Formats: sequence, structure tokens, C-alpha cells
Amino acid sequence: MAYALQLTVKKIENETDTIKRFTFTSDEIPLPSFGAGAHVTLHLPMGRRQYSLVNNPLEMKNEYVIAVKKISDHNGGSGYLHECIGQGDNISVSSPDNFFPLRTEAKHHVFFAAGIGITPFVSMMAYLKTIGRSFELHYAASGERECAFHGHIQTHFPSKSTFYFMKREEKIAKLKKALQNRTMGTHIYLCGPPAFMDILLEHSHELRYPEKFIHEERFQPEVRIENPQPFFVNLVKTKKTFMVSSGQTLLNALHEIGIDVPYTCRMGVCGTCEVGIEEGDVLHCDSFLTEEEKVGKMLTCVSRGIGHIKLRL
Amino acid sequence: MSRLNGFPFPFTKDQYTYSNNSVPLDPAKTITVTADYKNELELIRKLLQKHHQRCFRSLPLSIESQWEIMLLLFNELASCNPESFTFQKMGGECLFQNHLLAEEEAFVFRDVSTIDLEPLDLVGRHVQEDLIIMGDRHDGLFLEAGQLCFPSNWSLAFVQGMEFKSIHNQVPGIQNDGFIDKVERFISKIQPGAVWERKNWSITVTNKLDTPLETYSVWGKHRQEVTCENAGDLIHLRVEVQRLFRLPMNHDVLFTIHTYLLQLNDLIQQESWLKSFYQNIKTLPEEIAEYKGISTYRTELLRFLENHMEKGRRGR
Ligand code: HEM
Ligand code: FES
Repeated sequence: MAYALQLTVKKIENETDTIKRFTFTSDEIPLPSFGAGAHVTLHLPMGRRQYSLVNNPLEMKNEYVIAVKKISDHNGGSGYLHECIGQGDNISVSSPDNFFPLRTEAKHHVFFAAGIGITPFVSMMAYLKTIGRSFELHYAASGERECAFHGHIQTHFPSKSTFYFMKREEKIAKLKKALQNRTMGTHIYLCGPPAFMDILLEHSHELRYPEKFIHEERFQPEVRIENPQPFFVNLVKTKKTFMVSSGQTLLNALHEIGIDVPYTCRMGVCGTCEVGIEEGDVLHCDSFLTEEEKVGKMLTCVSRGIGHIKLRL
Repeated sequence: MSRLNGFPFPFTKDQYTYSNNSVPLDPAKTITVTADYKNELELIRKLLQKHHQRCFRSLPLSIESQWEIMLLLFNELASCNPESFTFQKMGGECLFQNHLLAEEEAFVFRDVSTIDLEPLDLVGRHVQEDLIIMGDRHDGLFLEAGQLCFPSNWSLAFVQGMEFKSIHNQVPGIQNDGFIDKVERFISKIQPGAVWERKNWSITVTNKLDTPLETYSVWGKHRQEVTCENAGDLIHLRVEVQRLFRLPMNHDVLFTIHTYLLQLNDLIQQESWLKSFYQNIKTLPEEIAEYKGISTYRTELLRFLENHMEKGRRGR
């Protein structure tokens, strides 16, 4: 459960022509520790943006470091950070979450990065080196000049890293080759543009690589309803109809009419308050149900109907 | 009355069923220091001394999380109880001082040559909780290390290395509606920063905290001795306050268990607890009563409670 920290921009450094490294710190509070692959969420005027931390989790000195590639003008998050944020500025940052953890049981870790997708692997490699585990990196970029952390990687993990600066076709062929003939217990991690991840993922399927040994970082925008709308609910078993107002959750509304749906967390993470959907569109806001489950179920503490829904209650 | 203060009474409804009763805790603390600290630590250390194999187990994979937990708990002890504990860390060099026991531990973070015990074994000798590490693996949550002195009829040696669902296999009805699968999914999605707490309860005949499966023949036989007359003395409501915490650095899950015992004679002093306890015991499904070991003396226990409720009514 992330909470907001008020941090100061301690340093801004150029990593490449389009990528800057930002170091955040605080004189007042100890920053929560984090793990390899973790990210922080920056609260910017245009919304929240997630960035992977690149420091070594085991050697963190009250600093969070991220690397940001400029892909927009100052109206977008990356452009804003590049153009409008300076050393000494204050910034609100959510404490780290981790949706891309290392699987430490792996006999060997293989990282595939393209472009700015390198960032989570920078912390992962530092961590694995510190604890003495086996890994290798395959890193595609358009050229050495555009390649973030090139020098850093060459210095710290030279024998474990392969760079791919060649033409696209050749790059893809070589990266696919790097995926082949892996020994049992090898875990694969992918991070980069969707097209890059899809090609490698597809090839891993062709190779029948076990799915649980492949991990991808795809930042999922958090679903938060900014202005909840009222909706109507029909309960098909108990034959009741009622409205859920904009200030109310479905769970509350059910309790008000005496339907005792069990609950615990009221934050969409425990799965206790689920009900079956008979008909209608639902705005799912939980972080528990799988995509398949969302077709027939909803968690009433956070998710809402759109217009009119029918529930199996 | 003092025994009642701070006792984590577990019943919220009149009928007990298994549910994911985990709630987020604010402030997010994984351990609690109570007035029983010194007594319980004495017992914990005695048990570790005498039965180390029974009370401590670890797989090599757990070592990084063990270190992380040692830092976490020393930090927490010191920040929540500064008059009793101090902790300093300068770079890798650490010094923990336990003023209650007049002891100190000096070590270098992640340097095994600076400590005599494994980190989890060491830090476990300064907290009242049992400590379990659930390794978060690509194919599930596995029990990879534990310091367990006060289990309620289970065995660390038996479950070491086992997967979460297999550990819960013998609990009656736990598979119904995919209950235990959902709990496992919930745990595997816990993010760093939050502590989730749930209460589990059972009954111990006598006030023995250490009731492992291994010594069942010693403590289990007392279940036959309960009568309507002695229930107040013999029977203790046993509550485990269990907390789950995602270790941020190593992504495993720390599971702490703080066990509290309350003698029935004390419990019945609080009328609402007496009633609630009675209702729950009375309506407890037979298979759960059997599993918790209550079936043998349920009739005697209920009669004892009824007598006291009757007395309460007449007294007014
Ligand atoms: C992740 C750490 C956990 C561990 C290591 C653990 C371990 C155990 C063990 C060893 C038992 C006794 C099984 C036996 O009789 O052999 C047990 C019982 C049980 N566990 Fe867990 N458990 C954990 C978390 C949970 C959670 C989060 C829930 C529910 C939300 C849960 C629900 C239960 C229930 C309902 C029982 C039966 C208890 C009784 O009736 O006395 N467990 N657990
Ligand atoms: S109560 Fe936990 S998901 Fe709704």
C-alpha cells in the first residue's frame, strides 16, 4: 500500500541526450527500502507516472534514483520532468511498489531490455551481483550514444552483458537466438516497448518456454475513479432494485438494504466481497480478480456498475 | 481484570466460520511487546536451547530475507520502545541493545562471520512472536524458514519447504469455494509497506504456550480431564495474532504469530465475551470442533459457561 512521501530533488544528471537521471532524497524521513524491480509513482500536475528505481536495493543511502526518457513536451510527464523540474525542487512520490520482482529461486536470470526498458534491470543486476547470483543481459538500443547506462554496465557487468546496436532485422534474429537453448531453472525477464516484448514472448511460446519462467514489466495505469457516477442494480435472486449514489460503494448500498455480503479489506485486494454479475457493464477497480474472472464477477467494495447492472444475489 | 486488558478477543460474530479476516494495520507494525516479554523470552530461549531442531529450521535460499527481517525487527523494537531497545546502523555496522535483558548484539549486515546464529534465529530471541518466512516463488508461497516455539499442534519440521496450500490441507473445509486459493492469491499480491493482521483462535487445556505436534502425548491428554467443575481453571482461550508483511528488499513474506492465552475464569468476568464465546462454541461446526480438539469436552465446557451466564442473570 503505497503512501506519499515529500522528497527533494538532489541531483539531475544527463544519462544520454534524451534521458535524465533524477535523484530524490529527504533530510527528514528515512526512505522506505525497496527491492530490485520496484518502481515509485511521481505525482505530477498532469497525473501520476511510474518509474523503475535504478539504485542497488541493498546499498540504498536514503535516495531513490530513476531515469526518464523525454517522450513528450512539458505537457506530458517526461517533458515536465525534463523541462520544469530542477535541483532542490520538492516532489511528491509514492512509496515503492514492486510488480516486477526477481524470482530468486532462479538458477540463472536472463534480462532482455530495449531502450529505456533497461531501468528495472539496472537495480536487478546490482542486487544479484551483491548476493552473488548468476545472470546475463541482452540490451537493444539504436546506438551507443542513445544507450542509457552503457558506461555503467560496461564498468560493473562487462562479462555478463551483450549490446545490440545493429539493424532491426538482425537485432531481432540475434535476440531470438539468445532466447534459445536455455537450461532448466532459467528465468527470463522482458522490458521495453510492447512490440519488442511481443516478439520475444511469441518466440518463447514457439520454443514452448514454460510461462511461469517468463516475466514482463508492463506498467498498468492504476484504475481510480475520479468522479463516480450513480448506477442502478437489480438483484435477480432476491428480486430487489436499488440505486447506488455517487458517494456510496456498492458494498455499502447492499448492506443498507440488508444483503449481508461479507467483506474485509474494502480496498479491492482480498477478494472477500465478490458477487456474480448476471448482466451489464462493470468498471473494475480491484487489484485481485483475473481478467477471466472479471467477466462474471465483481468486487463490490471498489468496483461500480455502468448505468444498470444485474447481480446474482 | 488486568489479564483482560489488551487481550485480542477474536470473535466478531455469534457464529464462527473460516474467512479471510485479514485487515490492514495502522501503524504498520509486525510485532508487539507486552508485559509478558521477559517471561516469554526466557521460555523461548529455553526451548531453542533444548530443542533447536524442533524450533528452528531454514533453507539456504532464505538467508537474504533473514537478514532483512533482522534489520526490520531491531529497527521496529527500537523505534516503538525506545526506552527498552536501541538500534544503530552506520553503513553495514549494526548495534542492537536490549535494555530489558541487558544484552547487546553487534554485527555487520549480511556478513555471516559476525554472528553465531542464523539471523532469523538471532532476532527471534528478542521478540515474543514466532517468525515464519514464506518464500514468494514463481509457483507459489513456500515455507522456507521459521523460528517456531509456540505452535498450536503443528510441526515446523513437517511443514518446512511445503507450499502454502499443502500446509493447510488438513484444515476441514478450507478448499470450499476455492477459499485457500484466494487467500494465497491475496498474500502473493501484498505490496510493501502494509501490514495485514488476522486473528486465529483455539483452546489449550492448561496454560502451556508450547504445544507442538511433537509433544502431543504430553499436553494432548489433558483434553480428557476437563469437567464442568475444573473448566474455569484448565481451559484457556488461545489467540494467535498473525501478521503478514511483504519484505521490500527480497520480496518474500514475513509471517509473525503472537500467541496470547486467557484463562476461562478471567474471560467470564467480561459478560459480553462470555456470551460471545458461548455462542461460538455452541454453534461451532462439528468438523472444526474436532479439528481444534474441542469435541472431547465441548459438553462440559458449554455447561460451565451456561452456569455462569445463569449466575450473571440471577445476580442482576
Ligand atoms: C502465510 C503464512 C501462513 C502460514 C505459514 C500458515 C500456516 C498454518 C498452519 C501450519 C496451520 C495448521 C495446519 C495444521 O493443522 O496442520 C494453519 C491453519 C489455518 N490457517 Fe494458516 N497459515 C498462514 C496464513 C494464513 C492466512 C492468511 C489465513 C486466512 C486468511 C490462514 C487460514 C488458516 C485457517 C483458517 C487455519 C485453521 C486454523 C484453526 O481452525 O485453528 N492461514 N495455518
Ligand atoms: S472487501 Fe476486500 S476486496 Fe472487497
